[in-house]
Amino acid sequence: MSAARAMSEGFGKAESGAQLLARLEGRSSLRNLEPYLFADEGFPMHGDVIEFHGPEGSGKTEMLYHLITRCILPKSGGGLEVEVMFIDTDYHFDVLRLVTILEHRLPQSTEETIKLCLGRLFLVNCNSSTQLLLTLYSLENMFCTRPSLCLLILDSISAFYWIDRSNGGENYNMQELNMKKCVKFLEKLVREHLLAVFATTQTIMQKSSSSAESSFSLKHQCEAEVDYRPYLCKSWQQLVTHRIFFSKKCHSSNSKGFSIVSCHVKRNHVVKCSFSVAECGVQF
Amino acid sequence: MVILHAGLCPGLTAEMIQLLKANGIQTVVDFISSDLEEVAQKCSLSYKALVAVRRVLLAQFSAFPINGADLYEELKSSMAILSTGSKSLDKLLDSGLYTGEVLELMGAPGSGKTQVCLSIAASVSHSLKQNVLFIDSTGGFTASRLLQLVQSRTEEEEEQVVCSVGPVKLLVVDSVSAVVCPLLGGRQSEGLALMMQLARELKTLAREFGLATVVTNHVTRDSSSGHLKPALGRSWSFVPSTRVLLESSQGAWGKASTQRIASLRKSPRQPTGIQVELDIGGYEALEERPGASGEEL
Repeated sequence: MSAARAMSEGFGKAESGAQLLARLEGRSSLRNLEPYLFADEGFPMHGDVIEFHGPEGSGKTEMLYHLITRCILPKSGGGLEVEVMFIDTDYHFDVLRLVTILEHRLPQSTEETIKLCLGRLFLVNCNSSTQLLLTLYSLENMFCTRPSLCLLILDSISAFYWIDRSNGGENYNMQELNMKKCVKFLEKLVREHLLAVFATTQTIMQKSSSSAESSFSLKHQCEAEVDYRPYLCKSWQQLVTHRIFFSKKCHSSNSKGFSIVSCHVKRNHVVKCSFSVAECGVQF
Repeated sequence: MVILHAGLCPGLTAEMIQLLKANGIQTVVDFISSDLEEVAQKCSLSYKALVAVRRVLLAQFSAFPINGADLYEELKSSMAILSTGSKSLDKLLDSGLYTGEVLELMGAPGSGKTQVCLSIAASVSHSLKQNVLFIDSTGGFTASRLLQLVQSRTEEEEEQVVCSVGPVKLLVVDSVSAVVCPLLGGRQSEGLALMMQLARELKTLAREFGLATVVTNHVTRDSSSGHLKPALGRSWSFVPSTRVLLESSQGAWGKASTQRIASLRKSPRQPTGIQVELDIGGYEALEERPGASGEEL
C-alpha cells in the first residue's frame, strides 16, 4: 500500500537514481537486428535515426514488419525480445499481416505466444502534425518507465507534408514549424532515452534536373543514383544518420523483386542488396 | 492549432490564461512545449497547478497508444472480408474486399470501372445483405442497370426493394479522380492538400467504421517507361492499399466486347501480376461466360 503511494507520489518529480540507472543500463541492445541493412556496424546503435525512402509499393512497410518481428519475438524464437513503439500517421498498419509473419517465424506458435509477442508492440495513430507533436510529448513518460522500449518507428513522417504546406500559407517557416518542433523533440527523446528511430518518407517529388539542386544532392555518391529529392525540413535532414533507399525492380527476371541502397550519411559508405517479399515476410 | 481559453480543461482559469498570454504562451502547443518551472516563475503561478493542467491537456489532445495484443483482439472480431460476388475478382483480391482498407480500380475510359462497381454494390447489398453507400461523381450510375443486376440475383420483387437501416459496410466512390483532377496542377499546393485531406478522411472512415472502400481512378502513361500508372500523382499513389487495373481484352479487334482483364498491381498480401478475366456485360456476376475461352470442357 505504502509502496504504491510512494510510487504515485514520485511520478511527477525528477527521476530517482535507481530510475536513472535503469534508463542507462537497461536499454537492451539492438545487436543483430538486421545485418543486411547496416553497412558499418552491423546493428543500429542507440541514437541512430534511420530513414527509409522510396516510392509506393517498394517494400518499406514490409521491411518494417520484418524489423518488428525481429524485435518482438522471444529470444527462444530467434528474436531480441525488446519493445517497439509504432506511430502510424496514415492508417497503414495491418496487424493481421504482422501476425501472419509471426506465425511463419515461430513454427510451433499458439495463440498465447503470438499475443505475448504482440504485447511488446505499441501502436499510436496520429491525425495531424500537431497531434504528432503532442503525442511525442505524451510518450516521453513511456520511454522513461520502460527500459526495454528502445525502438521507435514512424510510418510515415512525411504524411502531413502537403497539408502543413497549405496551412502555413506563403511563409516557408510557418509551413515547416510543426515538423521542426517534432524533429527537435525527437532529437531530445533519442538523446535522453537512447532510442533508435526508423522513419519512412515517401517519394512524392520528382528528382530535380536543375543544376543548383543537383549539386546539393550529388554530395553523397549514393544519392546520385537513386530517385531522391529531399523535401522535408533541414533539421530532419540533419538528424538522419542512415538513409536507405528502396526501389522496386520492374519485370525482373530473377526472383528478388526489391532492391535497397543503404547509405551512412556521415561516412558516405554505401551498401546495396536486394530482397523479395513472400508470405512469410522479407527474404534476403 | 488550438488556442488556450477558459474552460478548455479544468484548472485552466481566465487569470491563468491572461498571465500566460502576457508571456507569449497562447496555444496548447506553446504550453506543452514550454519549461513549466520557468513559466511558474515568470508568471508567478503554482508549478503544481501548471503540471496538472499540462497532464490534462496532453490527455485531451494527444493520441493514446494501444497494445498490439489488444489491437489484435479487437480486429479479430471486427474485421470482415466482403465477397465481391465474382469468384475471379475474389481470387484477385485474396477472397474479397477487406474492411478497413481502400481498393483502387484504375482504367481507361470505357474499361468497365463503373460496371464493376455496380456489380460489387449489387452483390454486397443482395447476397451479403449489407448497406452500400455509392457516391457517384461522374453521372455514370444508372439505376436501370443496377436493377438488372439485382433482378438477375433474385426473382422476388420484395427482396429486390428492401429498405434497411443500419451501418454501411461498403463505400464506393466513382470516381475520385473526376473531382480531384481539376484541383491539381498549378503552383499552389492547396489542391494537393485537399486531395490528401480527402485521402485521410477516406482512410479514417474505413478504419473507424469498419468499411470496405472502393474508389475508381483514371490512368496515365509513365513518360519514361511507357507503362500505365494511376492518375492523381505520386502522393495519391500511397493511399490505396490494393490496386487493380482494368483493361480490354486483346482479342476483340474491332468488335465491341464485354470482356475485360483485371490485373493486380498492388497488394499488401498477394504477389502482383495476377490476372483474371471478367465479363462486365452479363447479368450475372462478373464471371466469364462458359465456353468463351474456347477451351474444350
